[in-house]
Amino acid sequence: MIAALLNRVVPRLLGVLVFAAALGIWEVWARSEESFLVPPMSAVAERAWQVWPTADFLMPVAASLKRLAAGFAIGAGIGVVVGLMMGSSRRTRRTLEPLMEFSRAIPPVAIVPAAIVVLGLGDAMRIAVIAFAVCFPVLVNTIEGVRVVSPEARDTASILHVGSMGRTFRIYLPAALPSIVAGLRIAVSIGLLMVVISEFLGEGDGLGRYILFHQSQFNMPEMYGGILFLGLLGYVLNSLFLFAEHRVLTWHYGAAGVQAP
Amino acid sequence: MWTRQPLLDNGTMVRRVHRLVKRANLAGWLFVVLLSAVLEAVVRLFELQDSLPPPSATLHALADGMVSGTLPGELVTTLESYAVGLALAIVGGVVLGVAIGSSRTLLDASFVVIEFLRPIPAVALIPLAILFFGVGVPMRRLLIAYGALWPILINTLYGVRGTDQVLHDVAATSGVTRVGRLVRVTLPAALPSIATGIRVSASLALLVGVTAEFVIGTEGIGSYMQRQQLAYQLPELYAAIVLVGLLGYVINVGLRVTEQRVVFWVGEKRMTGR
Repeated sequence: MIAALLNRVVPRLLGVLVFAAALGIWEVWARSEESFLVPPMSAVAERAWQVWPTADFLMPVAASLKRLAAGFAIGAGIGVVVGLMMGSSRRTRRTLEPLMEFSRAIPPVAIVPAAIVVLGLGDAMRIAVIAFAVCFPVLVNTIEGVRVVSPEARDTASILHVGSMGRTFRIYLPAALPSIVAGLRIAVSIGLLMVVISEFLGEGDGLGRYILFHQSQFNMPEMYGGILFLGLLGYVLNSLFLFAEHRVLTWHYGAAGVQAP
Repeated sequence: MWTRQPLLDNGTMVRRVHRLVKRANLAGWLFVVLLSAVLEAVVRLFELQDSLPPPSATLHALADGMVSGTLPGELVTTLESYAVGLALAIVGGVVLGVAIGSSRTLLDASFVVIEFLRPIPAVALIPLAILFFGVGVPMRRLLIAYGALWPILINTLYGVRGTDQVLHDVAATSGVTRVGRLVRVTLPAALPSIATGIRVSASLALLVGVTAEFVIGTEGIGSYMQRQQLAYQLPELYAAIVLVGLLGYVINVGLRVTEQRVVFWVGEKRMTGR
């Protein structure tokens, strides 16, 4: 029993130890080098401890999150709706496919200058480019999810005269849900990337701006803190969606009467 | 005495042509043309040239830029950093992934560090990378390499860990050396997974590369876009966007085709599903 516990704890501990050692090396190296570019880890942590709970830091975080939420909602909404249309009708899929394949091959940053021309340098532009980037992973995964619906389910629905609305909401959407949630998880990290990129440009606030501002002021601990916070945010968001994915999958297999693999 | 057989009998021929037509997806491309035509009409009718160039002007600018050599020049600059950065990421990701994936101890030791570094968006490191490496080519290469490393590393790691232990044991008892097992068992087994990682990284690397050029604006197609936007040269700007989209498309398709050729044994289901 104790051996089993040790077996589970020791590997975890090893990972934490290596991480702590890496931080230690950073600290010692930065102190001995006294490099301007690399502040000691303790200085970054100290500054983060002081700054993170204040409005100076939380306001930009809130602004970034608001943009992410707005862009994500719009992009994911479009992705799911168009995905359901393309997934359930072969003709729609074939018609829209070349346009989709081309649009999603554009690195989302490339539409930023076009968005600036149309929408200016404000939040509308930021939300638009975030939505653009978020849309495609969701769209692709929704199509995939709908396409795996068994022909039997489709045929049964059509024999029972289930209308296209009923079919969409009662068959395609639930069936595609695990795939959609997986797409949302990929989309949220791309969305975060676009939040940062869009905030590098123009006026305003946000985490991207915060990092760039402190870089220009050579406030190294603040800049490192901002970057680390972004990593943390990405980790938390990813974990949330992983959790949702797991729940949806459990429910999905439960509803189908199968054990999750 | 023998009669010459036609290379293809009639039925095969008909099927091939049929498949070509089907694959060409006429409806889809017609839709693109139709959409462009509608856009053209709307822009000209409502005089929206200030915010959106008519597609014909974009095409014209694209052709001009290609002929004059401006666009290819910028594209080559972008592709250089892209190729080197991605190559670094592939080598680093596969080597690290195989090493970590084949040793339980290494995996345990490194997972916290990996989980810590992986979620940091590569573009957030641009301000830091500028301070370290300046605004030139080395900075872009390293940034691209860093961003592209993680999907390859993680996918390689999973691929290696997913290798069937029985294959290892059989190879070991048959007297295959460690190196031989690595090359003949582990790598082929992990290859589909590695290919997936490379495909994900290839688009991510393009995003990171163009972003770095766009934000810093010294050279490359990203900075070209930024300059056209500032100069309000909309057809030139859109021409560059279309070109980058085409580049991304060619990279996607190229990798998908290569993947199907190289990891051909993964089977129909994976090949058609995308």
